[in-house]
Amino acid sequence: MSEPDDPRWLDDVAGELRREVPVRPAWRARLLDEVARTPTPSLRDDIDDTFDHRDERAGDRGRRRWSISVGPVGSLAAASMLIALGAGATYVAMSRFGANTRAGAGRTAVTAASPQLASSAPASTEREVVRFELAAPRASHVALVGSFNEWNPVATPLARDPASGKWVVSLRLPPGRHVYAFVVDGDVTADPSAPRAADEDFGSANSVVFVSSPRT
Amino acid sequence: MTQPEVRGFNLATMTDAMLVRRVLEGDTAAFTTLVDRHAAACTRFAMRMLGNREDAEDATQETFLRAYRSLARYEERHTFRTWLFQILINRCRTAAVRRQRRHRMFLVDANALAEASVRPAAEASDIRAELQRAIDALDPEQREAFLLKHVEQLSYDEMAAATGIGVSALKMRVKRACDRMQWMLREGEASDVGT
Repeated sequence: MSEPDDPRWLDDVAGELRREVPVRPAWRARLLDEVARTPTPSLRDDIDDTFDHRDERAGDRGRRRWSISVGPVGSLAAASMLIALGAGATYVAMSRFGANTRAGAGRTAVTAASPQLASSAPASTEREVVRFELAAPRASHVALVGSFNEWNPVATPLARDPASGKWVVSLRLPPGRHVYAFVVDGDVTADPSAPRAADEDFGSANSVVFVSSPRT
Repeated sequence: MTQPEVRGFNLATMTDAMLVRRVLEGDTAAFTTLVDRHAAACTRFAMRMLGNREDAEDATQETFLRAYRSLARYEERHTFRTWLFQILINRCRTAAVRRQRRHRMFLVDANALAEASVRPAAEASDIRAELQRAIDALDPEQREAFLLKHVEQLSYDEMAAATGIGVSALKMRVKRACDRMQWMLREGEASDVGT
């Protein structure tokens, strides 16, 4: 290992610390037994067991969350005070500025119906047609998986184009970056004609396609 | 149109996101592949954080079980690995706090225990023991940031997602950890020469 003053010291230290810690087979077997005893998760589940109160204490030491609990009598008293305060504030405001509540309400209604707000909504639903194709002459089944179909291997099958012999499918995708791969007879493979995704997941490499907005 | 059945899927070539989907559709074998892909890295991180294999294995096991139970909540905004590390980091933080309390409760001599926990196993090299000693001497926050960056090789964005800490703060912690490690290793060498 290089000396601590050598610029390479960090690489050496990190390399040493990166040495694999082998997983003990007995530990693995015990974990998989536990998993088998746990109810199978499903898409309908809404369990969040990733973070608990003890984690919060451990991770946010020193940070305290305050809350105030009030009983039914206290709630009534608090509500009366708020109403009284609100009425008082309104009276003061009206007497100082001579405000007309009907005019205020009218302005609010106009703002809510402004054309900018109405026209901004459909932009997010615009999609571009993207054609995916793969030359795999010996394949018997090819599918497309990606972030746009939740990596579902049966959602988007490709069909063989009789003219070119390639497997093709066209999809309407929203603007943005989409990570995808092909599934060729059960094996996941990246698109050889597209750039690789930088944040590669484990398993095979993924490809990436950027869809620009139809307006640009 | 009926969708074709996909048979003979090669789990080894599937991405993590696809494996997650398979598990959620009832194929629990896909989770075994996820365990086999990530268990070694998780155990390594937990061992470097906690200093011993027993606590590290407990934290890693709990991480996988929690991930399994909450799998439907995994979102593809981040890689599965980042999500898993988010859980693992919390488990390690909890384990460290729990261990501190345990030690206080039994009035154990903290110095003697620290010595024991970093004492190298018979087969471990002196260099590895020295490195582990230097890692153990870092503040937990600096150790966590250093290991995620330089050992697990997460990007700063991934680290931010996994730890809930901002990128600039993480960079600062990594920088301080590097300075401290370098200083400690230099001091260690100096004392070796002196002996």
